[in-house]
Amino acid sequence: MKEFVYDCVYLSEEDFAQGQVLFETWKPVAHYAWDAGIAISRYLAELKAGRLVGVHCPSCGRILVPPRMFCQDCFVPTDGFVPLQDTGTVVTFSICHIRWDMVRLEHPLIPAVIAIDGASPGMGILHLLGEVDPQAVRVGMRVRAVWKPPEEREGAITDIRYFKPLE
Amino acid sequence: MSLLERIAHPDQAKVWYGEIPIQSRYTAGIAGERFFREIKDNGRFWGVRCPHCDLIYVPPRLYCERCFAHLEEWVEVPTTGRVHTFTVVHLDLDGNPLPEPRIVAFIQLDGTDGGLVHDLGEVDPEDVCIGMCVEAVFKDPAERRGSITDIRYFRPVC
Repeated sequence: MKEFVYDCVYLSEEDFAQGQVLFETWKPVAHYAWDAGIAISRYLAELKAGRLVGVHCPSCGRILVPPRMFCQDCFVPTDGFVPLQDTGTVVTFSICHIRWDMVRLEHPLIPAVIAIDGASPGMGILHLLGEVDPQAVRVGMRVRAVWKPPEEREGAITDIRYFKPLE
Repeated sequence: MSLLERIAHPDQAKVWYGEIPIQSRYTAGIAGERFFREIKDNGRFWGVRCPHCDLIYVPPRLYCERCFAHLEEWVEVPTTGRVHTFTVVHLDLDGNPLPEPRIVAFIQLDGTDGGLVHDLGEVDPEDVCIGMCVEAVFKDPAERRGSITDIRYFRPVC
């Protein structure tokens, strides 16, 4: 069988640069537009105004955040928006030393799930923690949103820069 | 807020725009590399013959797809052929009208069991017919880069 098996050919970046191998490249234009829907559109509009909102479920009575059109526990349409505070409690967190594309970060990022005050227990959003020593972060820590100035806000979750400890 | 709630003003609808960065690089493999090198360097086509099935494959490949034999008998094949099938294309990939219709054909190369999909040129769409004899028109050697586009198109031979 050996005679029918080719040795593996490993191509390096140099082989392409020096024309050792013929190749075609293709770069598709993959633009997309994601429709945020009714609930998230309102959520983003409120973020632009510097506020956090949730929705109320008429069946279980919970306040859900981020807003959604249905309560996923009761399968019942939610019945209204509820203003929330911009403070909360760290539910879980992680300390990241590398970026999504595996580039080392000079200062680690601390993504965390933050249960928002005014929403039902455990209801929270994923965001970053800032102005805090990574080693000092604890589950249960009280935090507050640090907002961008109004003129810089664009109706995005990044209108909140990060959450910082309350004390 | 209910199922019946609708966004009443376009400003209330939020659309998130983005772009997914994708890039790909395609190499033709061992047999394909040899095929395209021959086009680039000499303006010729190479096929490969399966002695068991008595088939000549163009584009060449390393294995016979009928009997799985390892193929080693490389043969030069003509750059002429016949239109096996064709279509006249009036729209581009985005659905916009093309300035000139494009004729895309599968050309069965003479003396082989294979062929190439390519454009037809120097012919009006209404004059194209199945079985028409055509030949490859290559770019100048200096312009060739070892690609299927080193062939400009196939044109009728009478």
